[in-house]
Amino acid sequence: MNRDPAKVRNIGISAHIDAGKTTLTERILFYTQRIHAIHDVKGKDGVGATMDFMELEKERGITITSAATYCEWKGYEINIIDTPGHVDFTIEVERALRVLDGGVLVLCSVGGVQSQSITVDRQMSRYKVPCIAFINKCDRGGANPFRVIEQLREKLDHNAIAMQIPIGLESDFQGVVDLVSMKALYFDGPSGEQIRMEEIPQGLRTEAEAHRESLVDAASMFSDELMEAALDEKVTADILIDAIRNGTLVRGLTPVFIGSAYKNKGVQPLLDAVTHYLPQPMDIENFALDMDNEEVEKKLETDFSKPLVALAFKLEEGRYGQLTYIRVYQGTLSKGDTIVNSRTGQKVRIGRVVHMHADQMEEIGSIPAGYIGALFGVDCASGDTFTSPEIKYSMTSMHIPEPVISLAIVPMDNKAQVKISKALSRFTKEDPTFRAYVNHETGDTIISGMGELHLEIYVERMRREYDADVTTGMPQVAYRETITRQAEFNYTHKKQTGGAGQFGRVAGYLEPVKDEFVFENRIVGGAIPAEFISSCEKGFKKSMEKGQLLGFPITGVKIVINDGQSHPVDSSDMAFQAASRRAFWEGYRKAKPVILEPIMKVEVETPTEFQGAVMGSLNQRRGMILGTQDEGNISVIEAEVPLAEMFGYSTTLRSGTQGKAQFTMEFSTYRRVPKSVADELIKKAAEEKKKAT
Amino acid sequence: MSENNLILKNPLKFVKEDAGHLLGDGQFGAILARAGEGKTSFLMHLALDNLLRGKNVLHICLGQPIKKVCLWYEEVLLRISDQYELNNTNVMWEMILPHRFIMTFNIDDFSEKRLEERLNDLTEQGIFFPQVVLLDGLPFDKTDQTSLSKLKALAKEHGFPAWFTVMTHRENNIEQPDDIPSTISHMSDFFEVIVQLKPTGREINVQLVKGQKADRVL
Ligand SMILES: Nc1nc2c(ncn2[C@@H]2O[C@H](COP(=O)(O)OP(=O)(O)O)[C@@H](O)[C@H]2O)c(=O)[nH]1
Ligand SMILES: [Mg+2]
Repeated sequence: MNRDPAKVRNIGISAHIDAGKTTLTERILFYTQRIHAIHDVKGKDGVGATMDFMELEKERGITITSAATYCEWKGYEINIIDTPGHVDFTIEVERALRVLDGGVLVLCSVGGVQSQSITVDRQMSRYKVPCIAFINKCDRGGANPFRVIEQLREKLDHNAIAMQIPIGLESDFQGVVDLVSMKALYFDGPSGEQIRMEEIPQGLRTEAEAHRESLVDAASMFSDELMEAALDEKVTADILIDAIRNGTLVRGLTPVFIGSAYKNKGVQPLLDAVTHYLPQPMDIENFALDMDNEEVEKKLETDFSKPLVALAFKLEEGRYGQLTYIRVYQGTLSKGDTIVNSRTGQKVRIGRVVHMHADQMEEIGSIPAGYIGALFGVDCASGDTFTSPEIKYSMTSMHIPEPVISLAIVPMDNKAQVKISKALSRFTKEDPTFRAYVNHETGDTIISGMGELHLEIYVERMRREYDADVTTGMPQVAYRETITRQAEFNYTHKKQTGGAGQFGRVAGYLEPVKDEFVFENRIVGGAIPAEFISSCEKGFKKSMEKGQLLGFPITGVKIVINDGQSHPVDSSDMAFQAASRRAFWEGYRKAKPVILEPIMKVEVETPTEFQGAVMGSLNQRRGMILGTQDEGNISVIEAEVPLAEMFGYSTTLRSGTQGKAQFTMEFSTYRRVPKSVADELIKKAAEEKKKAT
Repeated sequence: MSENNLILKNPLKFVKEDAGHLLGDGQFGAILARAGEGKTSFLMHLALDNLLRGKNVLHICLGQPIKKVCLWYEEVLLRISDQYELNNTNVMWEMILPHRFIMTFNIDDFSEKRLEERLNDLTEQGIFFPQVVLLDGLPFDKTDQTSLSKLKALAKEHGFPAWFTVMTHRENNIEQPDDIPSTISHMSDFFEVIVQLKPTGREINVQLVKGQKADRVL
C-alpha cells in the first residue's frame, strides 16, 4: 500500500437518531466494496447493518460503540469513526471527536435540524471539526432540503451552501444536479451503483444557474483565485473545489449534499466530497503534553520517522479477542515494536496490527502517522497514550465526570460471580465513566455510571456477552457532601496504653473551595515535624471518603493547618493520621455541611397538546423548567431535574402522553439538596444504619 | 445571529439606570434596530438586569431553537463576569435560573392565542409567573393591530410590561428624534416607549424615540 497521509480521511458521521446514519454507513461500505450485499437496518434478514455489530445496539436502535471502520474510495483511505448519538454516552462521543479530522452531519430532509442535532453540532464545533452535511431521506413525503439548509444557517449558524439541487423530490426523487460540474447525476442498477451523468433537465436550468452563482459567491470569499476567475467567467471545477475546501477547513463553509441512503441515491458523490472537502490529517494541529518537561504542549507532526505518539481511543472485546483501536499522530507503529504506555509506564510489545471494518479485519503490519488501526492483546485503558520509549508524551487528558448513579449487582451463583468479574474488568477499562467496586460493609458489588440507561446497558451486556446470571438492586443516587463556611479545628490525639503511646495535635481550619480537595501546610517553626505533614494530609484525605450526613464522599474542602504539637517518643505517622481524622470531624461539624445531589438536564419531546401535562410532571419532580420550544405539532421542553426524582419517569411520561413523548437526560451538575429533602434523607440514612447494626 | 452581535459596549449603564423602570404593567416598549445591529444583545442585557433584580422574566423568541437562546445567556453572562471580573458566576447563575423562562415558537406558528394557552399552562400549574416579558423576532410587517391589541390585553391581564424587538430597514433611518420608522409607525400608539439602537463605530448608541426621558421617570 502506498502510504500518503494526504490521501487519508478520518471522519465521523453524526446524526440525530433515525436520520439514517446506520443506513448511510451501510451504503458507504457497500460502494467501497467492504460489504457485498445491502441489508437494511432492523431488516428482516436478521443480518442488519455492519456498523451496529453489537446485537444489543441493534435491538435498542442506538449506537453505543465508536468502532473505526476502514474503507477505500478512489485511492483514498477512509476511516469512519462511529460517533454514538445518544447523550448518555458523552465521554465516548468526546473521545471519538478527538480522533476524527472531519465530520459528516446527516440530517433528515423532513425532520430537519432537531434539538439533538444541535447537541451533536455543538460537540463538533467545540472540537472545531470541519463538516459537510448530507440531507438524507429526500424520497420521503414532505422532503424539503432547502428548508433544512435554511435551518442549518439559522439554527446552527453554519454557512451552509447547496452543492447539489434535487431532481424531483419525495416519491419522484430521481437524482441530483451537481453544481460543480453542472451535470445531472442519476443512480442506476439494483443498488444505485451505476452513475449516469447527463445534461441538466431543461426545467431545472435556471434554478441550477442561480444556486451555482450563490455557491461561487460563497466560495470566492475563501479564494482570490476563484474571485478573479469568477470575474473573468473562467471558473473551473478545480478552482471551485479548492476554494470550497479552503472554506470548509476553517469552518467558514458547510457544503451540503442531498440524497436518499435508503434508495441508494447520492451516496457516491458524498464520498467524493469527503475526499475533496474534508481535512487530511496534516490539515489539523494536534498537541500532546510533554510529561518530562512540566507538561509543556508539544505540537505533533504527521511524520512517519519521528518518535511515536499514539492514542488508544477505544477498547473492544470482539470475536477475535481484546482489540485496542488506536490513532497514530506522529511516527509509525509497527508489528514487533516496543512502545510505552505513558500513564502506567508499562512497556508493550506490539503483536498483530490490523484494520477493522465492522466485524471483519485485515492484517496491515504498521500504522503510520495520521492513520487509524487496531492492536491485539494490548493491556491498557481507553484514553491511554502510547509513545516510543525515548519520549514521554500524553495526549491532553479529557475531563471525566464522576458517576452520578450506582446499582448493586448480585450474582445468582459462583459461576456467575466469576463471569461478572471478567465482564466488569473489561467494561471499566473501556469506559472510564463506568466504575465497579465492592462495598466492604455489605459485601455487594456496586456498579456506577452516568445514568440509568448507561448501567442498564452494561447489565444486559453481562447477561448476553458473558452469560452471567445477575439480579440488580434499586438504583442509588450518588449524593455528595460539602461544607458551606469556614470552621476551625484544634485536636489533640493522646493515647497511653502500656508501652509506646500515641500523641499528635493538629490545628487549623477548613473552608469551601471549588476543587475537590486542597491541602495547605502553613506551619512555621516545626510545630509538626516535616516528616508527619504527609501523615496529616493522608488523614484528612481519608476523612473525605465518607461524610457524616449520609455517608457519601465529601467534596470541595480546603484544609489549612497552621499549628500543632508533637512528642519526641509518642508521635508517629499513625498518631498524626488519627489526629487529623478527628480534627477533620471537629471542623466539619462546625462548617455547616450540606448534601449535594446530581442534577440532570432533561429534554422531553412531546406532541404540543401534552405540553402542559409534561411540564406539570417535571414540576412535580422538583424540576426547574428552563423553557419550551413550540414547533407546531411537537414541542421540546428543557428542564433540570434532580436525578433522584427521575426514577420511573419513562412510565409516567408514557402514561401521561399516550406513549407519544420521549425524553433524554444527561448529567449537568451537582447542586445543594433543599432543606426539607435533606432532612428526610438524613433520617432515612440513620434508620438504615440502625437496621444494619 | 453571530456572537459578535452580543458585544455591546457597556450596555448595562443605560439599562441599569433607566430601562428597568421605564415600563409599567401592561405597557409596551419597542427596541428598534436594523438586522444585526444589537437588538437581541440589548434584549439579553435587559433580561439579565431584570433577573438580577429578582424579577421573573419570560423570554419569548420566534424562529430560534431554545438551545440557542440558552447559549446566548451563557455567553452574555460569561462576558459580563469577565468584564466585571466576577468569579462566582455559578452562584449568580443559580440565583437567576429559577427566574427565567424561555419560550420559542416557529415564526409562522406564533399567535396571541397560542401564547395565551402556554401562559395559562404555566400559571395554572404554578410553574412560572412572568413579571417582565421580552418578545424577540415578531415580524411587524406581518402583524396587525388586532393581534397587538390582544397581546396588550394579555399583558394587562397577567400584569406584565413587555419589550419587543423591531427590525427596521435601511430606508427608514430616522433623522429627527420624533420620527417613527415606518415598520411600526402604523402601531406606534401601542408603545409607551420606543428606543432606537444605532451603531456608531464600536459603540451602540441608544436613542429614545418615544416616551419620557428616563431621568424624569426615576
Ligand atoms: N425513506 C427513507 N428512509 C430511510 C432513509 N435512510 C434511512 N431510512 C430509514 O430510517 C430509519 C432509521 O435509519 P437508521 O439508518 O437506523 O438511522 P440512525 O438512527 O441514524 O442510524 C430506518 O427505518 C431506515 O430504513 C432514506 O434515505 N429514505
Ligand atoms: Mg444507527
